[in-house]
Amino acid sequence: MAQVDEALTRKVADLARLELTDVEVRTFTHQLGEILKYVDQLKRANVDGIEPLTHPLDLATPMREDRIEAPPRDAAGKPKILTSAPDVLYDGYKVPPIL
Amino acid sequence: MSHPEFEAVIGLEVHCQLATDTKIFCGCPTRQADGRSVADAAVNGAVCPVCAGHPGSLPVLNKKVVEYAVRAGLATHCTINPRSVFSRKNYFYPDLPKGYQISQYDLPICEHGGLEIPLKNGETKRVSITRIHMEEDAGKNIHMEGMSLVNLNRACVPLIEIVSGPDMKSSDEAGAYLRALHAIVTHLGICDGNMQEGNFRCDANVSVMPKGSTQLGTRAEVKNVNSFRYVEKAIDHEIQRQIEVIRGGGKIVQETRLYDADKDATFSMRSKEEAHDYRYFPEPDLIPLVIEKAWIEQIRGTLPELPEQKRARLVGELGLSSYDAGVLTSTISMSNFFDQALKLADKSLAKPLANLLTGEVARLINEETKEIGDSKLRPEHLAEAVKFVAAGTISSTGAKTLITAAWKTGDAASTIVDREGLKQVSDTGALETIIDQVIAKNPGQAADFKAGKEKLLGFFVGQVMKESGGKANPTMLQDLIRKKLSSI
Amino acid sequence: MNANTIRQVHDAFDQKKLSPTELTHEYLKAAKASKHNAYITIAEERALAQAKAAEQVIARDGRVPRERLPLLGIPIGIKDLFTIDGMRTTCASKMLDNYFPPYTATVVDRLEAAGAVTLGKLNMDEFAMGGSNENSAYGPVKHPTHSDRVPGGSSGGSATAVKAGLCLAALGTDTGGSIRLPASYCGIVGMKPTYGRVSRYGLVAFASSLDQAGPMTNSVEDTARILQVMSGHDPRDSTSAPRPPGDWIGALSKTPDWKSLRVGVPKEYFVGGLTGDVEKAVQSSLKWFESKGAQLVPISLPHTEYAVAVYYVVAVCEASSNLARYDGVRFGVRPKEALEAPDLAGFYKRVRAAFGPEVKRRIILGTFALSSGYYDAYYKRACQVRRLMAQDFAKAFEQVDVIAAPVSPTTAFKLGEKTSDPLQMYLNDIFTIPVNLAGLPALSVPCGEDSQKLPIGLQLIGPAFGDEKLISIAQAFEQGRRT
Repeated sequence: MAQVDEALTRKVADLARLELTDVEVRTFTHQLGEILKYVDQLKRANVDGIEPLTHPLDLATPMREDRIEAPPRDAAGKPKILTSAPDVLYDGYKVPPIL
Repeated sequence: MSHPEFEAVIGLEVHCQLATDTKIFCGCPTRQADGRSVADAAVNGAVCPVCAGHPGSLPVLNKKVVEYAVRAGLATHCTINPRSVFSRKNYFYPDLPKGYQISQYDLPICEHGGLEIPLKNGETKRVSITRIHMEEDAGKNIHMEGMSLVNLNRACVPLIEIVSGPDMKSSDEAGAYLRALHAIVTHLGICDGNMQEGNFRCDANVSVMPKGSTQLGTRAEVKNVNSFRYVEKAIDHEIQRQIEVIRGGGKIVQETRLYDADKDATFSMRSKEEAHDYRYFPEPDLIPLVIEKAWIEQIRGTLPELPEQKRARLVGELGLSSYDAGVLTSTISMSNFFDQALKLADKSLAKPLANLLTGEVARLINEETKEIGDSKLRPEHLAEAVKFVAAGTISSTGAKTLITAAWKTGDAASTIVDREGLKQVSDTGALETIIDQVIAKNPGQAADFKAGKEKLLGFFVGQVMKESGGKANPTMLQDLIRKKLSSI
Repeated sequence: MNANTIRQVHDAFDQKKLSPTELTHEYLKAAKASKHNAYITIAEERALAQAKAAEQVIARDGRVPRERLPLLGIPIGIKDLFTIDGMRTTCASKMLDNYFPPYTATVVDRLEAAGAVTLGKLNMDEFAMGGSNENSAYGPVKHPTHSDRVPGGSSGGSATAVKAGLCLAALGTDTGGSIRLPASYCGIVGMKPTYGRVSRYGLVAFASSLDQAGPMTNSVEDTARILQVMSGHDPRDSTSAPRPPGDWIGALSKTPDWKSLRVGVPKEYFVGGLTGDVEKAVQSSLKWFESKGAQLVPISLPHTEYAVAVYYVVAVCEASSNLARYDGVRFGVRPKEALEAPDLAGFYKRVRAAFGPEVKRRIILGTFALSSGYYDAYYKRACQVRRLMAQDFAKAFEQVDVIAAPVSPTTAFKLGEKTSDPLQMYLNDIFTIPVNLAGLPALSVPCGEDSQKLPIGLQLIGPAFGDEKLISIAQAFEQGRRT
């Protein structure tokens, strides 16, 4: 089983861009450990030659025609997509400086 | 550049923006009304909930993207996988709306192909193509004082990534591969191939190893090169840098480096990057892509004549040199222009046509950094020029003048000939009159020639040309002058 | 409220005993007065406008045009996981406290196009992650009749609202049991259709290969009526089955051929952990089927024991990726301190601090299981066992026509009872999860109560695209058990 220690929890939290307090790191490490211990029982299953299932449906790939669908605009004619944006400047999404 | 103890190993990853009307997973346009990329249109004006990654939005695959990817695969002799899978590449960046890029990882649409590149020594070499896969582009970040602005117009624009094997050994070979690949995708019409606009992007993976070694060295990836010339320079610089590091006892770090054209150097991005764990897994919102054989064959039937087929035809049927064939198929505009001019002239004039294109026209394209299509030159001009030369109406120098004038003004060939006074004198009688005059003016040289000084023929040719104001048909002169001189 | 089903309401409209605005007004009043915390957003003005429009249609046509507008004037609640253009959609998360989507989910569009009146957005577990509706950033939802208990989750608000008379029907979603469990706990009907029969466009994704939308209602009949409107191919959802809606309403009048009906009883679902009252109620239901002439067939679904483990790998992996888009750039809440972060990573972390603990836990678990070095052992292996579980069902359905089982080992538990141990909470879903993993249709229909009068649901599971048959059986069961 994977060694779940606080260092791993911190590393994974970082990958997921989550900030954890020290208390959370401790709690999550413990809980993650318990859950992974439980999940480890999957090792008992015989999966030789079994193709992983990622889609419950056996479908042919749906594709669409290369036809333009005009992007939605609001009543003022501005891109509707910006209406829910936290911070917009010159119609761009404002974010901290990207070095 | 030669490095006696080392050899370089180069692999290239090319991202082609596909010239479809809409994005890969939504119906937003990829181009503005004037044909320019939507990336430069009004900020966020070509964005919908899907390409902006809004909660609850879902991707739907653009059929044309698949068709173009298959075309690319067929043209590079790849296997088209009947089943391929989309995957999520997970990482956080402001221009990546969903926090993941939909790409293809384990099972790309095309694999195991290759293409022939011309080497400097006239031979060809096969560079393998490991895979071609489809993916979506990210948006663009606009950097400002104390902040950045994210423009998602380019997000979800369709790309194919063409990955070569590590088969190239020099910047020349890399350049040749890029040019050949560029010619293919533009001929196929699947990509506009404009490196400055960013629709044909190249990343180079470069490593060095001791000559003769079988163990590959650590490679560095060079990004941010937007012209063939810069790719070659960046590769040269990187090879040199790596050799110096190794000679100095250091080790090459696997990293991404950016090329700075102004400084002609590569710089490490290392401080800004951590090792990415992309956590690829199959995209659950897209069913694996199944492509019917019948569809592949139908697409194969719509492929235009590819550069390598055309080159073979130009050499085999029309007797052109492989250098000529290479230049004539380097861009689709050159290629089409030649075809049209040949139709208007005659197969027998293929070589003179090729010469004008690879000579005068290529010079004009280079000097004015314009494509033929942006000038006033038309195939008729070329056809008329070679026909005039063949008929002796103008000299080959006159043809060059004609082309340059046509490029600028677009006037009819005959109009230009008259206006520029390009008509050469081919009338035997008229020429003989001038020859007589020249001989009369130079009795000494005439006598010397008769006495055996063969070299003086050139003198007389020159004098006749001068007397005629350059209009004498030079191909007729030698024989006429000889005849005249022998009769005195 | 005397009119409890869609048909009864339409009859009342036709007989002029009730008007759409009166009905909507009643429900809005009840919703606002209730202490259940079932609603996050009540869209009063919009709902009344829709009701008024419904009234005008009835006035013009002289009656409810039931074929053209089968849900005309019917007040429904929508789980706050579906986007509605211009209506606040929070997914019960602080992250989306101020989110007004620029588009509407396909299923909501279809319901409203059929004349439905949207009363508002219903409370739920944050991003659908939970089994008790205690994970909402807007406070827990209370059980409709026992206010010290949970309604189940994640569609807890939907279940409570329907049972407590705060809407006539509700839309929920089911990823591991989130429709069936609250339906069972609250004593209503809840159905998860076959994966792909209902569009996911506009359904904020938790686990893409498991999520399905479905109705939560007072009767099997209403379930069928709503699914008739909701279901069918959606070109905007690539995982949507390329099939027309189907004949759900026709299924209502098809009496099952009891003599030839084989009801599978999976032995793995009747092991220890099942409380006495639940077992009794389910067994009594099985006996009822037998009494009608159906054959009870013992079956085995041998990989059932792995269900929770598979789910808590596959679902969390997909979720960890689906929730990466919540980064404060294009939508959602962005706290002031986010822009003051020293770098980009810090910016993201401060924004994503808005997630509740259960969401964070699952994101971390999922990120871990996909990460380099662990992918094969966790994600890949879980997907392989998933296929084994789907094969279990496929084999079983060669021998039986429908599978009957409990929905949950227990009835509604007390608020706070299971919150300290996430694994305990997860194990509650053991009977519902396998269905989502296999993509099959299943519903929960009330089949009894325990000694404290807490409802117990019977789960009926069908083969892929065998939804209509489930409707027929459930309809017969509901009607038959009523008498």
